[in-house]
Amino acid sequence: MIKNYFKIAWRNLLKKKGFTAINIIGLSLGIGCFIMISMFVIDEISYDRYHEKANRIYRINSDVIFGGTELSMAVTSDPMGEVLKNDYPEVENYVRFYASRGSKLIKKGSEYINEGAVAHADSTLFNVFTLPTILGDPKIALKDPNTVVITETAANRYFGSPQLAIGQFLETDDNGKTLYKVTSVIEDIPKNSHFNFDFFFSMANVEYDFGNYLSHNFHTYVLLKEGVDYKAFNKNFKAIINKYLLPQAAQFIEISSMDDFEASGNKLEYSLIPLTDIHLHSSRGIELSANGNIQYVYIFSAAALFILLIACVNFINLTTARSSSRAKEVGIRKVLGSEKKSLIGQFLTESTLIAILALFVGLLFVWLSLGWFNNVSGKEMLMTSLLSPKFLIFIVVLPFIVGGLAGAYPAFFLSSFQPIKVLKGKLSLGHKKNTLRNFLVIFQFATSIILIVGTIVIYKQLNHIQNSNLGFNKDQVVVVSNSGLSSETRQSLKNEIEQLTEVKSASFAGYLPVSSSSRSDTTFSTEAVMTESNGFNMQYWNIDYDYLETIGMEIKAGRNFSRDFGSDSTGIILNETAVKLAGFGDPIGKKLYTIDSDGDLEGYTIIGVVKNFNFASLRENVGGLCFQLGNNSWESAYRFNTTDISGLLSTIESKYKVAAPGMPFEYEFLDEAFDNMYRQERRVGTVAMAFAILAIIIACLGLFGLATYIAEQRTKEIGVRKVLGATVANIIKMLSKDFVKLVIIAFVIATPIAWWFMNKWLQEFAFRIDLTWGIFAVTGFVALVVALITLSFQAIKAAIANPVNSLRSE
Amino acid sequence: MANALLSLNVATRTVNSGSNAVTLLDKINLQVKEGEFISLMGPSGSGKSTLLNCIGMLDSFTGGGYTFLGEPVHSMKEKNRSKLYKEYIGFVFQAYHLIDELTVWENIETPLLYKNVKSSERKALVADMLDRFNIVGKKNLFPIQLSGGQQQLVGIARALIGKPKLILADEPTGNLNSKQSTEIMELFSQLNKEGVTIIQATHSEHNASYGSRIINLLDGRIVSE
Repeated sequence: MIKNYFKIAWRNLLKKKGFTAINIIGLSLGIGCFIMISMFVIDEISYDRYHEKANRIYRINSDVIFGGTELSMAVTSDPMGEVLKNDYPEVENYVRFYASRGSKLIKKGSEYINEGAVAHADSTLFNVFTLPTILGDPKIALKDPNTVVITETAANRYFGSPQLAIGQFLETDDNGKTLYKVTSVIEDIPKNSHFNFDFFFSMANVEYDFGNYLSHNFHTYVLLKEGVDYKAFNKNFKAIINKYLLPQAAQFIEISSMDDFEASGNKLEYSLIPLTDIHLHSSRGIELSANGNIQYVYIFSAAALFILLIACVNFINLTTARSSSRAKEVGIRKVLGSEKKSLIGQFLTESTLIAILALFVGLLFVWLSLGWFNNVSGKEMLMTSLLSPKFLIFIVVLPFIVGGLAGAYPAFFLSSFQPIKVLKGKLSLGHKKNTLRNFLVIFQFATSIILIVGTIVIYKQLNHIQNSNLGFNKDQVVVVSNSGLSSETRQSLKNEIEQLTEVKSASFAGYLPVSSSSRSDTTFSTEAVMTESNGFNMQYWNIDYDYLETIGMEIKAGRNFSRDFGSDSTGIILNETAVKLAGFGDPIGKKLYTIDSDGDLEGYTIIGVVKNFNFASLRENVGGLCFQLGNNSWESAYRFNTTDISGLLSTIESKYKVAAPGMPFEYEFLDEAFDNMYRQERRVGTVAMAFAILAIIIACLGLFGLATYIAEQRTKEIGVRKVLGATVANIIKMLSKDFVKLVIIAFVIATPIAWWFMNKWLQEFAFRIDLTWGIFAVTGFVALVVALITLSFQAIKAAIANPVNSLRSE
Repeated sequence: MANALLSLNVATRTVNSGSNAVTLLDKINLQVKEGEFISLMGPSGSGKSTLLNCIGMLDSFTGGGYTFLGEPVHSMKEKNRSKLYKEYIGFVFQAYHLIDELTVWENIETPLLYKNVKSSERKALVADMLDRFNIVGKKNLFPIQLSGGQQQLVGIARALIGKPKLILADEPTGNLNSKQSTEIMELFSQLNKEGVTIIQATHSEHNASYGSRIINLLDGRIVSE
């Protein structure tokens, strides 16, 4: 029986090549999109699950509000891990990463390579995480100072192979020059990991004022014992704060109790986050890598599902629309003794067969566009990941689900024909009054319109970010790394390059208003004795005399640091928010106090105020910030005025190469660094656009099929009307009118839904566009025009046909 | 004396057309014995096809009694009814109604599929039928590649494959030329001799003459026999 079903299904598909093509193309786009997004989602939720103890590992997060500045950090203070392990039996172990410096120069031959994937780690690394070793004993690998564990890739890069690497030394630029012995080589860390280090150096080599509860610089992971509820465990942090933190803080700030501290609107909180939640549920300051976002996983999944549904709708609509061509067969089969359920079986077989064909075409689409998708999503997914057992089952089952979804209604519809009616030709399968079909077309277009609105809003918002008044000028600034250079060399290089005619100004720039740059914050008070009510936290950046000019900031009041004033080393410049935080009406000449390296409070005089500028993402409001004169020269910024950028760059590079042979020359344009802050939004924008285009293509394919069928069905009517004097325009209008109505209804339904979703998305930005009616008008117009163009192919063809032909054929 | 195959007892069919009730079949009384070859005659609209459809259980009487092989069809559920006609009745249509997407062989085989006959048995039965109708050479052709007469041969072969007791033929030669008509009618006559009961609806006196009994219908009533 099944064989018979397949045979007839196959012949039907071949007989109606046009419909088959539309159905298969539509479904394959839907299925392809669905598979691709499934790959994406499965990859996203697989993060960090490769650790054997993944379900018992937690990271300590810190949340601090002091004086109105909120800090949500993925790091905590250095003693926290040890305290937890010593004081609480629920804690089995802990490990810390110290990656504050971000990168190290590592010597290979005579050249230095700037390695970004570096961290110092405790020797308990292997007790907590599962990092399979290729060579060396993980138990003792990081116990001693000057030891390093490297990945296979790093071993190959520096030594040729893991075997050649073990026992050898790596030279880094720590303190000028420090040697580390390779004690173990591990397998490369899987891509789906929230940390991706190639080098784990011994924690013993970190130069840090250990035992400091007030500075948060260590990524700390604890391994809880089996069965411990981390949410309940979180309650212990309050006791830890009282026992360890307050006594230390009291040395600097007059804090009477935690309650008073909190009563002044401040907050200090620690909490555990499950390791496997980090990738999708955490976007704090100082994450080890740019994490994903569960929202986007949901949105993408929903969009993919909807596109698959749109494709299924095409199948439903086209199959029921042309049911009259199958009606005779249904009638005969029933007369020959077929029961309804075997007819349903037959039609479901057909839809499943189409879905199977569509699956293969869809996989082809996936294969063709995977490179593009990887590029957009920043992933490295492979086709071979589809061969994993779970995915394979999913792929095998998928066409049956799709076949059922698309085929169920047509199967019931077709199989319920009464033989006596269809065989006598009494069955009138008119094109009118098909409520379900109309509803489904509305669904398709409403979904498409929502996706189009989403795309437009995302792009407008990105555009807004790019062009909004940031309070600094991101264009025409190149930032060059100075790592590995002596401070004399840095100074002389800066002076030399400043002389170039293409360079307008030059400054050292350790801190920059892009989130990839360094950050430093500290606590200030408005009076010489710091209390919980007069203290507040803000960014604290060391800059030089030329910084404000080079980065293009605007002085609102007072003046810039100047070489003409000898006293400027005790002067500070605030931004507008900082003035507000301090509560000064006229800040110039007033003093702020902060703790110096000896632990004493020292006063600084405010000499100027800069206009607020966005130093964090535009998702957030501008926080308080204070500039002080200093010599932070990790990087130099050059503002240039030339169109020959590559020429200028090669001039600068040659100067760096002469001054520091063997050192890597690394640079970045400020505007590009700025754009990178919105990479995720850009990705979402691109994917949303792809979704919107796909959705509208599939919907139009269906519309095209329907129009073809209806024009065919009404050939005679069109002929008669033309003989009676109807113009081509009349006919086109007649054929398009019904569909245009549906598109308009879809628009009316989609508008509030799209508004709600996009309004919600925009709330994430402190600086955002308004949702104007124009966006919706444009979208509605686009949808209508695309639908009209699709319809007009068939409508015009039908309208200009010679009526003599159509009437004779009857 | 042969057994009664079916009997109609004041069987009536009325349908609502708008606000009027239209009587298509009016108090039909008819006994059909096994082995009969009945021709229903009458002008267009006299109710020949409706009567055939109702006897074939594709349609149902709205009043009166219908007994088939001693079973009361009028009080049967849809499912049992379809079981009954699947088992005992074969249909032949004026427009042949072959399935365009199936070959001659597959068309003939289809009723056996719905009876869950085993593959080997199906092959043997279809091969016999092709043999008997001399269309072995055409078994892999599609209906569109056959002449009208050949298509109707396939239609009859398909109706016979399930070994029905009763063949219902609605204008079986309506679309055929006279030579093809004669062939088909002779085939019916032959089948009747072999014991198959046949009821045909026809306009042609000549065709009716092949039968053993002629029933004239007018406006849904039997006017003469």
